[in-house]
Amino acid sequence: MKNLTSLITGFTKFALKPFNTRFKQLFENDPSIDRGYQVDITCVNEGGLAPMEATMELEIINHDIDNMVFGDSTVLSGKELAIDHDGLKEYLLEDRRLQDIDIQIAKPGESCRIGVVFDIIEPRAKEAGSGSDFPGLLGPFAVAGQGSTHVLRGSAVTVIDPSAVPGITSKVLEMQGEPASASPYGNLHHLVLSPKVLDDSPRHVVQNVLRMLSVKAAVYLGNAAQGKKSDQVEIYSQNENDNESREGIPRIAYIAQIHGHQMTVEEDEPILYGSNTEGMMPILLNPNEILDGALVASYWVMRVETYFYQNHPLIKELLSRHQSKEITFTGVIATVAASKETDRNRNCMLAASMAKSTLKADGVVLTKYGGGAPHVDMGETARLCEAMGMPTVVQVSDSSGDRKAESAMLFNYPEVDAVVYGGGGDTGWDVGTPERVIAGTPGVAKTLKDMKYIEGAALCGITNQQGASKIRATVY
Amino acid sequence: MGLPINKEHLKLGLRYIENKDFIYNLKVVRRTDMRVVHYLNQFFGGIGGEEFASTGVSSQEGAIGPGRLLQQLIDGESEVVNTIICGDNYAAENLDEITDFVVNSVREAKADLFVAGPCFEAGRYGVAAGAICAAVSAQVGIPVVTAMAEENPGVDLFRQEIYIIDSGANVGAMSEVLEKMAKILNKLKNHQEIGHPEEEGYIAQGIVRDEILEENAATRILDMIIAKTAGKSYKSELTQTAFEPIPAPPAVSDLTNATIAVVTDGGLVPKGNPDNMPPIAAEIWGSYDIASLDDLQSGDYDVQHRGYDNRHVLDDPDRLVPVDVLRELEEAGAIGKVYEEFLSTSGLANPIANSRRLGQEMAKKLKSAGVDAVILTST
Amino acid sequence: MTAVTPVARMVGSNRVVQGKGIVYPLGDAEISNDDEKALRRDIVQQALDALSSEVSET
Repeated sequence: MKNLTSLITGFTKFALKPFNTRFKQLFENDPSIDRGYQVDITCVNEGGLAPMEATMELEIINHDIDNMVFGDSTVLSGKELAIDHDGLKEYLLEDRRLQDIDIQIAKPGESCRIGVVFDIIEPRAKEAGSGSDFPGLLGPFAVAGQGSTHVLRGSAVTVIDPSAVPGITSKVLEMQGEPASASPYGNLHHLVLSPKVLDDSPRHVVQNVLRMLSVKAAVYLGNAAQGKKSDQVEIYSQNENDNESREGIPRIAYIAQIHGHQMTVEEDEPILYGSNTEGMMPILLNPNEILDGALVASYWVMRVETYFYQNHPLIKELLSRHQSKEITFTGVIATVAASKETDRNRNCMLAASMAKSTLKADGVVLTKYGGGAPHVDMGETARLCEAMGMPTVVQVSDSSGDRKAESAMLFNYPEVDAVVYGGGGDTGWDVGTPERVIAGTPGVAKTLKDMKYIEGAALCGITNQQGASKIRATVY
Repeated sequence: MGLPINKEHLKLGLRYIENKDFIYNLKVVRRTDMRVVHYLNQFFGGIGGEEFASTGVSSQEGAIGPGRLLQQLIDGESEVVNTIICGDNYAAENLDEITDFVVNSVREAKADLFVAGPCFEAGRYGVAAGAICAAVSAQVGIPVVTAMAEENPGVDLFRQEIYIIDSGANVGAMSEVLEKMAKILNKLKNHQEIGHPEEEGYIAQGIVRDEILEENAATRILDMIIAKTAGKSYKSELTQTAFEPIPAPPAVSDLTNATIAVVTDGGLVPKGNPDNMPPIAAEIWGSYDIASLDDLQSGDYDVQHRGYDNRHVLDDPDRLVPVDVLRELEEAGAIGKVYEEFLSTSGLANPIANSRRLGQEMAKKLKSAGVDAVILTST
Repeated sequence: MTAVTPVARMVGSNRVVQGKGIVYPLGDAEISNDDEKALRRDIVQQALDALSSEVSET
């Protein structure tokens, strides 16, 4: 096992093919992996934590992508990413829970509609020796958010959910026309993975396959940038003690929901460092950790994609205002919305008190995860923050079918009076029949093809709850 | 080069000729003239003050009081053809009669526009004006407007249905209020878009409209938190809704003789979903027999609700509709009777107005069935 | 009876009993069947107690 671990640790960096072959040989006859849990093994780390500095510094090395093609090998030359279709397919099919996988490229401006999307991830890989890719989920445990990360900016890995049923038009990508321009995903080069999982697989297995595929493919592509230089480098370092005094600058904390337990998590549902967040209480995270692979979207969610954890609009804005000294960004408190009221009360209380006493915040911004029930937890947390003397701003989206303000709110606290709205029901576009549809099943493909109108809420990224939404509500 | 004429065009032309109403309407619109009907209370109609509040409804040709200025402010050759006056008490006590009277008068006058008020702070006047405007709008389909102070009880009742200009409390502002009323009428009759409440001067109807901005939500969140922590002003993108208090029904005096019903918004329906209950924003509710059941069995039920993980309720429906425990309590004599059906709907993302109607319908059924108390379970 | 009592209170419910979880207001999948039934009895009894108590305006 020890040998295997060290092999795996180095695998994403150096030895793709040899490792794969070796892996296959090692486990060919092991019945325990028939259900396909080999992915867990990659998380075993016996080497200890990576060294960590007091101030976390993350170097993001951006490699702009303006073309994505299939080629003989996976290489980045200039701004063109060539992908070895067969090599990638072979690698992904090592997950024996898969029957087959369809891999296609969708480019900006193409007449192409894609759905139903499971998740969208930006292709990234840690610079060899400087950290772990999706630690606890894919790579070995290491604190995310430090070292150097190669980013294939302008591209995405998009995974289709094969278990989506026809007739439901949500989580769609449109590559052409107005909807494409309005979505932050419309101008990306997408590598679209449409997997076929073994028949009669339980739901959680299907979802786990999708999750593992998404991160494996993202790192596979990201590795094409290993050792390459770029002049597009960003340094993320949230240093509170920089030379000039920060006295008088408001200290702002961010309380971020990362799951809502009205959707019961699966045992094998990795969300935060591989944890399924069951029983989780609020914890403090460095914003860099979220940007650098500590966090992925859960199996079931609306309006959140892993891509916008990696490029978290709200965290980036907080960091930028920290840089310009409009605020002092004190950190992120990750929390979950509860199913049980006792859990809700406990989590809301601890998140608020952590912002107050640990982060010494003067103000707090809050976002929710998913639908209506998490709205309540966010409102309650904000109410407690206000009661502790920390002004708040919350971001909501609504699902008021009748477009009435009275149907939009799920809390009503006079002090929680600063609301930013992230999406709603009367944005949408008339669309024609696309030339190409990428879907998980023929039934869903037909649904997508026949769409005459795409609602804003059904198009990935439009009503995003991580701060990317450009929709604002006005009450008329 | 002329356009080719095909059979469709010919059919269309024939329809125009056959449709005499169309031609008639066309003439009316071209010839004039906005015909306005105006509703006033006894005070503004010049009959007298509070001592004349019981005066019945009457109708006069031409403009009276504020109507004289109003007809000058509306674009084009506008004319208040008919003014209806009614005492505030009479209107409050006979609202249905007054509403029918006004709707008929509007139809007879072939009115293009209908105006009530301004009512300022007069509560009975405001409630009547709002009700009448809403009825004319719904039944005749012409543009309507009224005006009141925000505190007027007519505002909360009708602002979602009609445009109510914010008149403030000061009657001295009459001419400015009439100007705003005329402006919105002009836009309505020309099918122009009505702007934001603050620009147009009407009281927000509570309708959420989206717009797409340059700045993303993250930027707006930071702008707002910086302003709020600095004690500066900021503008929330959504405003809160206050809910009316609901009077508490008295306690059930004797549970051992009471019939108890179960209602749920968790979407439990018999296997196969016989009523086609939608899993989101359901506009229907179902009523399902449990008279002979001691325990709800897994496999006999479906859940139509996409807002929570349904698996636990599917495994044991008593987790949502507790028939097993209620039956025990019934047998032990702790409660009189479990009502023979449970009522169910899907509460997910259901608009308030719709939920209110579903609740009223359910309550009506249960009340008439002699149910004494209801346990509502919600997910 | 709900596990999201803030919403019940917000819309003006007069008698609110706290349920166990959003996914099972009157149960708990994590405990034994017997314990779960006892829990359900307890919550239903609270509802009956609420129904037979007068509510005062606050």
